[in-house]
Amino acid sequence: MTTLLQQLLREHRAELLADWLKSLHAPWEHPTPQDGTHHEPNQRLHALFEDILTALERPPSDRFELDALDPLAKHLRQLVADQARRGAGSSETIGLMLSLKRLISKRLIEQSPSDSSGDLLWLEQVFEQLTLLAFAAFLDIREHLITQQSLSLLELSTPVLRLWHRILLLPLVGVIDTGRARQITESLLEAIARHEARVTILDLTGVPVLDTSVAQHLMKTIDAARLLGTRVVMTGISPEGAQTLTKLGIRFADVISRATLRAGIAEALLMVGQRITSIEDGRP
Amino acid sequence: MPELLVSERIPVRIATDIVIARRAARELCERLGFGKADQTRLATAVSELARNVIQYAGEGVCLIEDRSDGVSRRIRVVVEDQGPGIADLGRALTDGFSTGGGLGAGLPGTRRLVDEFQIESAPGRTCVTIVMAKPF
Repeated sequence: MTTLLQQLLREHRAELLADWLKSLHAPWEHPTPQDGTHHEPNQRLHALFEDILTALERPPSDRFELDALDPLAKHLRQLVADQARRGAGSSETIGLMLSLKRLISKRLIEQSPSDSSGDLLWLEQVFEQLTLLAFAAFLDIREHLITQQSLSLLELSTPVLRLWHRILLLPLVGVIDTGRARQITESLLEAIARHEARVTILDLTGVPVLDTSVAQHLMKTIDAARLLGTRVVMTGISPEGAQTLTKLGIRFADVISRATLRAGIAEALLMVGQRITSIEDGRP
Repeated sequence: MPELLVSERIPVRIATDIVIARRAARELCERLGFGKADQTRLATAVSELARNVIQYAGEGVCLIEDRSDGVSRRIRVVVEDQGPGIADLGRALTDGFSTGGGLGAGLPGTRRLVDEFQIESAPGRTCVTIVMAKPF
């Protein structure tokens, strides 16, 4: 037996597709001129349209199940991925499907207001599943993006700055884990050797928590730097940080430390026999 | 039984979770009116314990609770894992002892950072409970 819905989908397929594409606006209709692949979104939509209609043409049942490997699921995920990459919100893909549902249900009701309830229920079920799938796919992509971003944040490069002749400044910002500590040490040692630095200022103002693991990384970095003949001045440990470090029992023995970067720079200049004076004083 | 105002359960699996756990601890500390030094102490303690979980047990959970009562504001943090356990608790709590190549300051240091410190350990379960308290 053919249901009303199946009949409708068969007879009005082309019109439905045309109506649907018309109802979708913006990016699909106005491809960027330099983008040669502007047919692609439309092809994707065509494929998705065919898949959805095939799903709707299944004999109605109480539950609509969608296999993850089904072409429909695959196409939907691809579409979501495309849109997410373009920066579109989840509402865009979902809106796109709901607009198709609206078109079909409208035609159904127009054709037979009295006998369409069963078909409408089925329609509802199919689109419900599709919406859930699209939303899950969207979340997956977002989560993936967030993980990537947090990774790249951790891998922020740490610049070693040449503050003055033979004075280097290493401002540390953020979380210092093993990987980052290694990277910091490498770039610092390389810079010390290149500039024959006599003093290195290690500024910790931007390090949120100084625990034993961070302290150990710092100690190793400092020891290695010293082997290359530089003296290390630590700056920017907060009063709370200092208190916490001593409670933890961590001692930066023999490391010169100053509360502020300003004081650290003054100390470093002193070590290389320089100082900052006002222009007035220096005039003959 | 005092009413629990806030309770947060944070899974500790990867290094980023350490940051999440200690930030949550610091935020609750701040919200309850603890000073900056206390915030830093607790955040550091949580950081130590969570890092131990990842280093020695692989994964665990960190439970941060507001346990304030009429007398004092209290934050309790329970860090628990199903790891191999600590073979010699006495030595693990001694400064300078480490089986993992660390400074050996984590556990004894954490004990000094907080107001209450409890540790239970057996193969299959290690549980550290710390409390920061401050009278109203």
